[in-house]
Amino acid sequence: MILALAVLAGLFVAVLPSVTDAQLIEKIFVTHTGGVVKTTGEVIDPVYVESSMEFDPMEYLRDFDYGEISTLADGTILREFTITAEDDKIMEVAPGVFYNVWTFNGTVPGPTIRATEGDIVRINFINNGSKTHTMHFHGIHPAEMDGVFEPVGPNGGKFTYEFVAGPVGVHPYHCHVMPLEEHIVHGLYGVYIVDPKESRAPADEMVMVLNGLDTDFDTENNFYAANTIPFYYQHHPIQINTNELIRIYVVNMVEFDPINNFHLHGNLYHYYPTGTYSVPSFYTDMITLSQTERGIMEFEYIYPGKYLFHAHKVEFSEKGWTGIFLVSDEDSAVGS
Amino acid sequence: MELGGKSSRAKMVASGVIPFIFLVVLVVYIFGPGSDMLDLGVPLPEITIEKIDFVDSEIIATVRNTGPIPVEIVMADVNDRFQPAAVEPDRFLERYEASKVRIPFEWNVAEPYTIGLTIQDGTRFERDVKAAAPALESSLELFAFFALIGTYVGVIPVAIGLLWLPFIKKISRAKYHFFLALTAGLLLFLAIDSVEEALAVSGESLSDSFNGALLVATVVVLSFLGLYHSGERLVGTARKSKISKPLAIALMIAIGIGLHNFGEGLAIGAAIGLGSIAFSTFLIVGFAIHNTTEGIAIAAPLSREKMMLGKLACLGMIAGVPTIFGAWVGGFAFSPFMTVIFLSVGAGAIFQITLVILRWVRENDQSLSSAPVASGLAVGMLVMYITSILV
Repeated sequence: MILALAVLAGLFVAVLPSVTDAQLIEKIFVTHTGGVVKTTGEVIDPVYVESSMEFDPMEYLRDFDYGEISTLADGTILREFTITAEDDKIMEVAPGVFYNVWTFNGTVPGPTIRATEGDIVRINFINNGSKTHTMHFHGIHPAEMDGVFEPVGPNGGKFTYEFVAGPVGVHPYHCHVMPLEEHIVHGLYGVYIVDPKESRAPADEMVMVLNGLDTDFDTENNFYAANTIPFYYQHHPIQINTNELIRIYVVNMVEFDPINNFHLHGNLYHYYPTGTYSVPSFYTDMITLSQTERGIMEFEYIYPGKYLFHAHKVEFSEKGWTGIFLVSDEDSAVGS
Repeated sequence: MELGGKSSRAKMVASGVIPFIFLVVLVVYIFGPGSDMLDLGVPLPEITIEKIDFVDSEIIATVRNTGPIPVEIVMADVNDRFQPAAVEPDRFLERYEASKVRIPFEWNVAEPYTIGLTIQDGTRFERDVKAAAPALESSLELFAFFALIGTYVGVIPVAIGLLWLPFIKKISRAKYHFFLALTAGLLLFLAIDSVEEALAVSGESLSDSFNGALLVATVVVLSFLGLYHSGERLVGTARKSKISKPLAIALMIAIGIGLHNFGEGLAIGAAIGLGSIAFSTFLIVGFAIHNTTEGIAIAAPLSREKMMLGKLACLGMIAGVPTIFGAWVGGFAFSPFMTVIFLSVGAGAIFQITLVILRWVRENDQSLSSAPVASGLAVGMLVMYITSILV
């Protein structure tokens, strides 16, 4: 009996929470609703805690890859891109959360490929992953350039995609290997923009890929974001100016959930579905997008200040798909 | 067997130690450094949210690392929506280490909530609360409230049960054996009830890594053996001293029931604390009727003894008062692990008394298959089952 009690006492001690002296410094943090909380522990907060993210959504936002440009004998412009696929990278996708991302050129989303209608786009694709991958572009191209029936083998497999850029608009590209959902949710996608020959009005242009991360593989997204990192543009507001045309190329790459949407505060935007026509279809502050649905949004702010933009499917916004435009009252040059 | 000389003694020691050395070598070979023989599969992290408290503008989740590898708590959510939170003492949890996650949140009374925690590899663990209720803050008033409930549920019913003693005294020998067997039936039911409750708590709040069912089985058997051994000695002492055997048995019954009632008190206190039951007067009445039968269990073996009011009161207290302590512990410092332990110890104790009573009945030349004994056992189980429906 005494032995039994000793064993029980041992178990009891073993399961008591232990406290070390080192952490007894009080910290204060403010909740999203303004409450002030004091703690001797650590603060975990997806909105305010900075982390050592490798991927910089602010850099990605306005980064366009026009390729290596050369002019052919007939005067056609050739744009050459080298895209490498990998699937072994572990990236911090939210503060403290590490996830195996599959990448085109090392990032999720991959580089924004940009060409003008009629240019020749040549993609030198290298698959350095451990699985078969391809690049499938939405747009108009010959069947053998579709990246579906031409699997590119792992560990250095190569393929050259070549097609005439078109039609005008904003399109996604992604890996098209089965199981497709798996290859997409891990991050093998990006944006492909075809500019009209007569260029659009000058604007502060940006790309937003609306995406989700299923970090526990239960076919439900744990995180949502504009450009991969949850809440990023909420703690790093996007700086824009009053009376300056803003143009966002929006592509919805969320899997599992049938829809996503984009709501803008304090303003409305002109919406060009797929960006194929030069006349906007809507003037609204709310557009609903299904898988790979995309379009161009154009707006200007009159009043300076902080404006939210987020999914009005609030579950998505409270799991990361939310951001802020910080509008400054400057009559600075358009397109700065 | 005679053991002559030093060498044979050394041989004996060696023969005992050698297999053990082989075992150590085997374990080192399999798990030791440099051995990747059994390096199959990936160890998966696991955490268990053991408890959720709703306090003023805050939800507090107690989380334990119940997996094989260290984990880091990185996100907290309420109803699958991320919330900022504080982890105390820190977010790194070694195996079996626990932390408190404080989530500032304006929760609403009686609404259901799901609390989720995400760890470093993006896996999310959650626990549901059926209806939020304010966590109990230790106040003198609440302390008194639990004492009162413990008294209603434990002390008074046992005392009422004891009042049947004069009645049992006056009945015939066969009827007396009926009542003894009835007691055994009541106790058997209580023991099974305790095991079931222990399994339920371990299934609900303890991680798989504790091997809940085996923990219960082990503690029940240890408790049974411990009390069996010490009980025999108590009865042995009783022969020499003035304490009679019936009194010794009654004392053991009281102790066993006391342990059971401590577990019951824990469950009641914890249930109120977790807000999972509305503690209505109806439930108190149910428990009270149910527990009255425990008084009969103590009274039955004493019915051939001289009436000693003091001793009787003592026995009643030993059986009933632990309910109050249980309610305090359960309400203010609920630990699923300790609840499982106490319930299991109680079950083992009661199994042991049941055995003692049945043996006693047989020593009194009454076959266990005789009508009074068999019917007593049956009625005991039935009475307990029917009164348990009230709870």
